[in-house]
Parts: sequence; C-alpha cells; structure tokens
Amino acid sequence: MIRFDPYAPAVDADPFPAYKALRDAHPCFWSDEARMWILTRYADIVSAGQDWQTYSSAQGNLMTELPNRAGATLGTTDPPRHDRLRGLVQHAFMKRNLESLTEPIRDIAATTANALRGQRQFDFISAFSSKFTVRVLFAALGLPLGDEQTVRDKAVLMVQSDPVTRAKAPQHIAAYQWMQDYAASVIAERRANPKNDLISHFSMAEIDGDRLDEREVLLTTTTLIMAGIESLGGFMSMFALNLADHADARRAVVAEPALLPDAVEESLRFNTSAQRFRRCLQRDTTLHGQTMRQGDFVCLAYGAGNRDERQFPNPDVYDIRRKPRGHLGFGGGVHACLGTAIARLSVKLAFEEFHKVFPDYQRVQEPLSWMPSSTFRSPLRLELTVQ
Amino acid sequence: MTTITYIQPDGSPRTVDVADGWSLMQGAITHGVDGIVGECGGSCACATCHCYVDEARLGDLPPAADGERAMLEAVAAELRPNSRLACQIKASAALQGLRLTLPDRQE
Repeated sequence: MIRFDPYAPAVDADPFPAYKALRDAHPCFWSDEARMWILTRYADIVSAGQDWQTYSSAQGNLMTELPNRAGATLGTTDPPRHDRLRGLVQHAFMKRNLESLTEPIRDIAATTANALRGQRQFDFISAFSSKFTVRVLFAALGLPLGDEQTVRDKAVLMVQSDPVTRAKAPQHIAAYQWMQDYAASVIAERRANPKNDLISHFSMAEIDGDRLDEREVLLTTTTLIMAGIESLGGFMSMFALNLADHADARRAVVAEPALLPDAVEESLRFNTSAQRFRRCLQRDTTLHGQTMRQGDFVCLAYGAGNRDERQFPNPDVYDIRRKPRGHLGFGGGVHACLGTAIARLSVKLAFEEFHKVFPDYQRVQEPLSWMPSSTFRSPLRLELTVQ
Repeated sequence: MTTITYIQPDGSPRTVDVADGWSLMQGAITHGVDGIVGECGGSCACATCHCYVDEARLGDLPPAADGERAMLEAVAAELRPNSRLACQIKASAALQGLRLTLPDRQE
C-alpha cells in the first residue's frame, strides 16, 4: 500500500518518485501521516488554487502551521480581507517600483561574491546566498544592520518541523517567537520615527477607516521577513545546485547571461522550494472518486504539479530552454507569491555577479543533507569546488 | 469546459477549452497562448494579462472589482473601455465562445 509522509527525511531528500506514484494511481490521496489529502496533479492544484471559496487559507497555509498565525497574514486569509491586506503591501513589490533597488542589489551581489575570491571550496549557502538574501531584505525593508546573521538563522529554523513528532519542535517555536519580537521592535521603531517605507506605511495603515489588527501587523511583518530570507535563500541554493549539476546549462548562462531568467523559471519548476502548502475545505468535495469532507485539510503539492507530465513533457529533465509558463514555483491564484518580481530580479543579479567571479563550479557532497520541513525543500549545506 | 478564443498579438486566433473556475489568464498560459505574461501568477498584482473583451459580451462578465480597476491603470498598452485583466475573469458557461483580443505589449 502506498504511503506519503511529508515529514519523512526521504521525502525531504527526494519527493519525486512518491509524487509520480500519487499522480498516476492516487491523485486525491489521504495521508495518515500528514492527516490531510494530497493533490499532486497540475490541473487539480490549479483548480483548487483558483477556488478559494472551497479551498480556504484562513486555517493556515503552512503544512505544519505556526501557533496563532492563521488568519493574520496574507497567506492565511481569504478574500475580501486578503485582498485589502494585499492592497496595502503589494505596491512596494511591483516590478516597476523595484527599479531603485536594482543597483543596490547588484552591489550587494558583487560585494558578497568578491569577498570569496581566491577560495577553492566553500558552502554556497553560508558563504554567499545567506549573506546576499539577508542584505537584500534589509535593504528592501530598510531594516537596521547588526542582527543579520541571527535574523537569518531564526528565519530558517522557524519553517522547519520535527520528523519524529510531525509537529513544530520547541526550537522552531522559539525561533518563531524571536522573529515576532524582532518584528515588533522594528514596527515600534517605525511608528516612533516614520519613514517613507513599507513597514512604516503598513504599521499605520487602515482598512475602511479601521486600523489593522495588531496581530495582522505583527504576523504579516514576521512573515515578510521569514519569506524574504528563507524562501529566496532556499531557492538560490536550489538554483546553484541545478547549475552545479548541469554543466551545460551553467556554461550556457555564463556565456549568455540573458538566458538566466529562463533558467530561473526552469529551476522554479524543477526544484520548487515551496513544495507543499495546505488549504481547508469549506464544503464536501469529490475528486477522482474520493469524497473529501468539509473541514478536512488538503495539501497542494506544487512540487508534484511541476513534475506532472500531463502539463510538462519529460518533466524530470532539467532544460533551461523549456520556458515552463504557468509553473507552480510561486504557487498560483489569489495567493500567488507576493515577492515574484523582487525574487526574480534578485536571483538574476546574484548569479550574474557570482558567475563573474566563479564561472565554473561543481558540488562536493553526495548525498546532500536536506532541511527537515513539511512545507519547504532546500539543502542545509551546498559545498562547491570552484575554478 | 468553456471555449475561449484568444486573438494573439500577430492577429492569429487560438481557440482553447478552459476548465470552469480557471481564470482566462491561467487558461491562456496553460495552453501556450501568445500575448499574455501573467507574471504575478494571478494575484492581480502586475497588469501583464491585459486583454480587450468583445464589446458585445462585456455584459456577460461580472464588473471589475476595485483591485482590478486600480491595476488596470498600470497596463502597458492602450487602456480602453473594454480593457480587463484576464486573471480576474473566471471561465463559466456564461462566457462560452468569448473572444479576447490581446494587446501588442504587456510590459
């Protein structure tokens, strides 16, 4: 009998064989370990993502939700509340409003890459992607320098889960609490000394004349920091892994950096960092002969939909010329990632500058050690040898 | 399924079946229609799925909500009275046979 345990270290390392078995034979599957339904086909995930009235986010969107978070963030509210919250923050993340960040981000990338010059081997994550993402987020949000390394460590810890208890462990909850306290201090500072920036505006914003609930301000800010660091950093490590493993692709993007955006899209599809988010059913729903009940949780396995051969031919082949339009690497529907434009821009600039210093690299470890997380997937370390 | 015809920027039509409940942006992207970007993934945050709806059928669509109207101000091509964002229009029987004309640019 087939099983699917999103907490299993084997699934952290390689979920794709299990995904294929589920897509082919059990496209609507009840996981005893996750205590929820698992949807793995592209079309089913898109349909669910479009139908927020049935597949609600208001009971949380992380597979292992953080306490007291659901209902207070963009990812854990439904329209119309979601749309009003999003309206307050999305302006800052629109592509056309990011132009002023292009040169600062390029400078951060160049500085971080140049600091590694002369080294023959290093951990890409601790030596480059972590430093880069934290500095970018701090620049984008105007956060005070000094706490970067701690903020990064807590962001990575708070998204993890315990493979044995299938829940958040005390250190994960403690990291989440630390991040809330950190966000609260930033919010308080902005309210005392407002600037023309996102957190200042958001922390004093109103919807229909009402100030935002304090929990919404705090947890939305906490989530922005977490996502900005962990999601961007996690994806950068997957992209570096793909380019390290696929020398032809790496040589192509090094020779012609204009190919980088296409390679980014293919890696978003091929090694989706947000592998699985969840929804909660608002009414009984029958799919592929299975009846799911109102109140049941449903996992949208984006990483499985992105390997669905019904949508993407030869899905297990990494092909930077594929141009996989409509991939689920940023989710989809009303909850599609807020940070798509800044993520795409940041990754492009980071690798343009990294490749100027290190055009040729291979990975050292086999196998890799993977982050224990029911929601996200990325390696904990990525040792590269460089020429 | 709802049959939708997209007139691509080069003038060629593409007629595809879009699953009911899917946005017309998602339907276009999934079928490889040219002329729609949908960069934000369907969250009404980028204005790159701009389309012109056949004027005779405008009444078959729910009117644009506040968020869509605000985002329409940001489209790259000419804004017309029949301009809509395809990510905000969901396929349903009422839209059977709808034609959408895609502008010459989205960014």
